[in-house]
Amino acid sequence: MTGSTKRHRIALNLQIPVLFLHFVSLLRFGSVIGVSSVRRQFASFCPSPDKTMPLKWVLHWQPNAGSTVNSQILNEVSQCVESINGVKEGRWKATLTYYRPVIRDQSSASEFPRDFIGMSLPEQPNKYYFIIRVQRLVLEADSSIQMIMEKLQSYKSRVALNFEGFQYQLGDFQLRVGKVVPTHSENLRGIVMEVEYLPISSMDKSRQVMEEFVDIWKDAVSKRSLPGYFMHLEPNFSEYGLGDHYTPQHTAVQYAYVMAQLIASAQAVQAGRN
Amino acid sequence: MQHQLQHQTTAAVSTPPSTTGEAPPKQVALAMERLSHAARLIADIRLGADRLLEALFVAAEPHKRSKPLDLFIKEDSSMRQHLQGLRSIGKQLEESGVLNESLRSRSNSWGLHMPLVCPDGAVVAYAWKRQLAGQAGASAVDRTRLALKAFTDQKRRFFPHLDDGLTKPASKKHCGAQALVEHNQDKPKNYKSLSDVLTCLEKEVPNLKIFTYERLDWLKRASSLPASADDNSLQGPKHTFPGSSILRPTSQTVVAFDKVAVIELFSPSIFRAVVSLHPAGSIDPDAVAFFSPDEGGSYVHARGSSVYHVFRHITGHAALALQYFIGFRSEAALYSLLHWICNYQTLFSKACSECGRLLAMDRQSALLLPPVSRPFRNFSTSKTSSTGEQNNMNAHPAYHIGCFADEA
Repeated sequence: MTGSTKRHRIALNLQIPVLFLHFVSLLRFGSVIGVSSVRRQFASFCPSPDKTMPLKWVLHWQPNAGSTVNSQILNEVSQCVESINGVKEGRWKATLTYYRPVIRDQSSASEFPRDFIGMSLPEQPNKYYFIIRVQRLVLEADSSIQMIMEKLQSYKSRVALNFEGFQYQLGDFQLRVGKVVPTHSENLRGIVMEVEYLPISSMDKSRQVMEEFVDIWKDAVSKRSLPGYFMHLEPNFSEYGLGDHYTPQHTAVQYAYVMAQLIASAQAVQAGRN
Repeated sequence: MQHQLQHQTTAAVSTPPSTTGEAPPKQVALAMERLSHAARLIADIRLGADRLLEALFVAAEPHKRSKPLDLFIKEDSSMRQHLQGLRSIGKQLEESGVLNESLRSRSNSWGLHMPLVCPDGAVVAYAWKRQLAGQAGASAVDRTRLALKAFTDQKRRFFPHLDDGLTKPASKKHCGAQALVEHNQDKPKNYKSLSDVLTCLEKEVPNLKIFTYERLDWLKRASSLPASADDNSLQGPKHTFPGSSILRPTSQTVVAFDKVAVIELFSPSIFRAVVSLHPAGSIDPDAVAFFSPDEGGSYVHARGSSVYHVFRHITGHAALALQYFIGFRSEAALYSLLHWICNYQTLFSKACSECGRLLAMDRQSALLLPPVSRPFRNFSTSKTSSTGEQNNMNAHPAYHIGCFADEA
């Protein structure tokens, strides 16, 4: 599918009035965007680099067959971070929302993309990200788009999840361990971990460093004999039109994949029970 | 209390110093005054030492006249005078009990605050401030620890090469002999001018981007960094050196070679190294620092320090390398230094030659770091231009900080 037909289809399926298209200036479909300049807070007095973003890998907890995730595992993982000299810095929180279309005409129900995800990231408080995985789309919008969507009544929130937890500093690495919980609930659905290497922003150049770090991390976790392990899946970023230079869109895409994995493993557990 | 003390300080100047039967505040005031006098004498001695060294330098120049000899004699006499003065002050302080423990034991019964000598040498009359009171209340062990830490930090910063002397005393002679051997074996072509050095470097290391600047221009550029990695059209004028073969956009100012004071080596997405030359236009480097390619701000200069640990460690190591190149290869210092810096292009991809891993926990700083050390003692620039990948890999090993110390 080429880019232009994708866009065309989306415009039709969303059934958004033409007026909304004026807001397209805020939206850039599936392209590499010059990174927004948001200050990255350092604990020290040093000035922060603008306009570039350090790269990040998002890992998720894969429980062993037949077991589920629980808060004990989360505690053990946090202790594990501290055992490799991670220094706890503060809290972090990201949100992810699955949208479903408000369908007026039942016959066109099947044309709508099933996994239309919206995400807010803590590093970019003024932005909101949309991902449609099956069509390999990611875009960045101003956070006021949520208000617009509400006014338009075109899409409603189906499921909303929070990723929240603590942030750790380990030299030039920044780690975030978070639990996946639905909003307004304490039901633990999964565990995610973000590994960020601050000095560089190129995915290619940092690959070896990140792989070794994840290996070291996995070793440390496996010593605790927990029923599961951390997994990293790298989405094919070029299919989304994203380049080697890391951007928040990369993060959003990684989270979309993590969610797909979590749902798949939850369904497998369900099928196992039945 | 303070007024009283000041009054008595002025009184103390006029009366001859006599420590017996004096009231405590007056003794404190006298001690303060003598300590400050001693500090002035020490400063004079430092200056005298500088002048002596200068005279030595001048004497080393073959075509100078006998002026240094007069300088020497003059400095010698003034130094002796200062040292004599210092000795007498020291004796006075000892008599009054400031330099030994007797006054300390008496101070509690006087109810006076003793003057406090801070780790960096400053003398404070009263420890009113909470921080200083904390220091004053700290035990001797803590104070000693603070003083030692301050001293070693400064020593590491200003005399980086002394560290090696402590750990490997036996190899010093060995190094000297080896340097001689190196000079004979590894004869680089004569790079006398900056343009030669840079042109050669550009040919041998094509992945690296080399820019030159006048000193103030660099400051402007540093503040406007970082330019985005994909951004090919830089905002400001792009400074490349005149002999460069890279195609240049039209909005460029070419820096004349005799004004070049800063060389920037930019390896895309890996590092940015800033080398300062002194004097401008020469081939004498005097400082080098490494930064992340995404870092920007006015602190990005040859004497600055990166925000990130990995680049801070590399900068420290580079300072040692710079001292070595200046000391042992003074004519080819810049050439060697720039080639040595180019080794760091493999910073995030080359595993340590000692332990075989890329990341390792550095024991001293408790951080995970890639191999930040590249050996410079036997560094040979001729190996850089070899085309074989295998040759390159073995010729320029990389080490973690801990692995490097063990290796050498």
